[in-house]
Amino acid sequence: MNTNLFSYKHLLSAYTELRCQENNSLVISFLQGDNTTNTRLTTSGVSARVYKKGAWGFASHPEISDKGVRFVLDTATRNSNFLAAKEPQPDIPLPHGGVTTDRDTPEPQNQLRSEDLVPFLKEIDHYIATKYPRISSRTVSLNCSELKKTLLNSDGVSAYSYLPRSFIAIGMTVEQEGAPVRLQELFGGRGQFTDLFTAPEALFSKIDWLYEHLMRKREGIFAEAGLKTCVLAPELTGILAHEAIGHTCEADLVLGGSIAGSHLGHPVASPLVSLVDFAHTALGATCPVPVVVDDEGSAAQDAVLIDRGILKGFLHNKESARHFGVAPTGNARAFRFSDEPLIRMRNTAILPGTAKLEEMIASLDDGYYLMRPSNGQADTTSEFMFGVTLGYEVKNGKLGRAIKDTTISGMAFQVLQTVSQVSQEFKWISGGMCGKKQLIPVGMGGPALKCQVMIGGR
Amino acid sequence: MTLKELNFQALEALAQAGAEKAETILTSTEKTEMNLENGQLKLIRTTVDHHWRLTALQDQRRGSITVNKVDLESLELAVAEVMAITAASAPDAAHDTAAFQRAKTFRKGAAQPDLETMYQRLDAFTHAVATSFPRIVLLSAQLDFTGSTTFFQNSNGVDFTAQQGSYNFSVMFSAKAGTSSSSMNYSGFSSLNLEDELLNGGSLRTLLAQADQGLAPRKAPGKFEGTVIIAPDCLEGFLYSLLGITITDRPLITGTSLFKDKLDQPVASPLLTLASRPVAPEIAPGYFITADGYEAQNATIIQDGILKTFLLSLYGANKTGLPRGANDGGAFVITPGPQCLAEIVKGVKKGLLLTRFSGGAPSPNGDFSGIAKNSFYLEDGVIQYPLSETMIAGNLISLFRAITAISQERIDFGFALLPWVAAQGVTISAQ
Repeated sequence: MNTNLFSYKHLLSAYTELRCQENNSLVISFLQGDNTTNTRLTTSGVSARVYKKGAWGFASHPEISDKGVRFVLDTATRNSNFLAAKEPQPDIPLPHGGVTTDRDTPEPQNQLRSEDLVPFLKEIDHYIATKYPRISSRTVSLNCSELKKTLLNSDGVSAYSYLPRSFIAIGMTVEQEGAPVRLQELFGGRGQFTDLFTAPEALFSKIDWLYEHLMRKREGIFAEAGLKTCVLAPELTGILAHEAIGHTCEADLVLGGSIAGSHLGHPVASPLVSLVDFAHTALGATCPVPVVVDDEGSAAQDAVLIDRGILKGFLHNKESARHFGVAPTGNARAFRFSDEPLIRMRNTAILPGTAKLEEMIASLDDGYYLMRPSNGQADTTSEFMFGVTLGYEVKNGKLGRAIKDTTISGMAFQVLQTVSQVSQEFKWISGGMCGKKQLIPVGMGGPALKCQVMIGGR
Repeated sequence: MTLKELNFQALEALAQAGAEKAETILTSTEKTEMNLENGQLKLIRTTVDHHWRLTALQDQRRGSITVNKVDLESLELAVAEVMAITAASAPDAAHDTAAFQRAKTFRKGAAQPDLETMYQRLDAFTHAVATSFPRIVLLSAQLDFTGSTTFFQNSNGVDFTAQQGSYNFSVMFSAKAGTSSSSMNYSGFSSLNLEDELLNGGSLRTLLAQADQGLAPRKAPGKFEGTVIIAPDCLEGFLYSLLGITITDRPLITGTSLFKDKLDQPVASPLLTLASRPVAPEIAPGYFITADGYEAQNATIIQDGILKTFLLSLYGANKTGLPRGANDGGAFVITPGPQCLAEIVKGVKKGLLLTRFSGGAPSPNGDFSGIAKNSFYLEDGVIQYPLSETMIAGNLISLFRAITAISQERIDFGFALLPWVAAQGVTISAQ
């Protein structure tokens, strides 16, 4: 899909975005060795969003055709007119996004199909089944997805973007005194399957690692509830950056009363903490979810949210940037063709520091080393939480017993003030999907942090 | 050619391509949605889409494809691809399609939205909130009308048509006064019409009043084990989590379910009667057809604490040898108890009124932990103060066994009908 929308440019009278989009996914799942799912999903269509006198109208249609384009333009205009008549607002133009054109490399043509992928997954499943007979249940799932977008707006901006992601999720469950204990790991990231996975054997050592931790978790104890000093592994810091700070700094939430609104220019974290929502490139490499032009047609800029502990800015679309008197940051993103762009994060990360992870753990007298997150949630008060599926108690600088699944929480701006060490080691979590009316793929990254958080337990 | 004829043609095309069994489901949807952002109506959306799933079975192999283009050219490509996917799948004798049932057409709700009334109701809502709850900030709200038509056909002769239309309202809000701000909260409901004001729907008045009271929250006093009164907004999530780890396909197929041998045995307090009623009159949207092609039936899941059914799909039933569920779950209705909420609160020595739970996904053994959001501390039978930075931890299976009271009052969300439920044995902790 690389649709030329320029032939409709003359139909865009008011401020208008016209977007064609195709989302593809291939899902293959094995449960206990049985191939339960083998399915492909393709959705595509065209949408228009029209802005007139402070009112937005949007429409989408699955037909990418002259008829479909005219339907969405007419309907979006009608919706905008209806609203503008009911709720008249000052007719102030939106800022230009500072870009004219950008085109990603077109997608490769020769991609693997089910007949190649099913045996690959079957071999992974067979490895787990034969090597680890104590496992009571196992799942192996592949999810390959693609997002292809073509955008034209009435400012003359045109862009094409292509984002492929491929993941294999492996889950294992053992029983402990009749109750199940589970651990899951996600492998993969940005790219086609063949860019990321060479042979099933390449995952075997990672499966062995997962099994070792699962057997320790099987003997795990409840964390002791309360405020604890913890070392968060890089895999957790990314979700901390996303949930605790990123959401709080989305300009629509700031306008809705987020606590970040009153802290701009003030210290909100230890001077060791700097946090950026990267557009497409970070630390010399392409990010997990690179965005060069957002879905309003703005050039995507790195948004520095915290610089050495000081809150510096927010994430913006065109309308919020106009409100705050700043340039759009390129954070307006939509997930499906039928979704309107919302202010969303892209690749949110705390920058690495100078400490070493091993030394950080060794410096912990009594606390926890938390290694793997699950789901998370944020609040406009900056209170955050996310689940922890793998962690260990630390006593006198030594790793001790594993802990059962738990949840950590805190007020972000308080927790980040307690950061006393930041590691050199840095990792991206590439499989993130953030939910805010719509889903959207995001990257989350960070180093290990030593800080104080509330931990749920008994 | 009508969409129904096209869907039949897909079934025939799959058979001609070699499918021993086949299933085609075509859903056509049109949604009209009004969006409010930070108190102002900002956007109207109209979205048209199709969802066409073709499934083939051949030599015990199953493959499927979903597309949103409904024309003959797309059909030809989809059939070729789904047969390739099917041939590549690993065989499993448990795959099947729904048995023959008599052809039926289901209808519920309006076919088209009333745009003017939608606007009037949303406008009245924002004014009513501003008047009755002046410290409330409406972060976002969506009022939509979603109309859909589904054609479900399979090679065993299943031929269902379902036409549904409903209004759905959701709102996210917090309270703000000076520099103080409450935690954000959200709720919503579904309805077949817009006869009543939006503010009267679901639990909105209760939650907005609670947010207004939540501007000066405090932490719970230390760490203790107490009683939690789970509010209706919060209860649905707990129900989905409990049933998801105990009576659905995955935990029963893998044998990890702690309820696997509990059919017709006690699994919860005898005070609890829980039903899933997707075709009941008290459920506004609901659904008529299960995901695997059976006419959905209402079902009692737990009767007086006794487990009465699993929620297994056809595949799950074939895999485990256990009976297939009468529906796909959801549309929960809990039978009210004899006490009013005020009496239940009076009976709590120390605990929480849990209005929202923000927690990690529960473990497969039912352990959960997370933050008590928008909640209130209870002591000596009195609501003491709103809470912040307070965590709870417990076990879902133990929690439902430890229910001590269910309220007379229920919240009608349209998609569920739920009371307040009190249970003991939850660890509550704050710094």
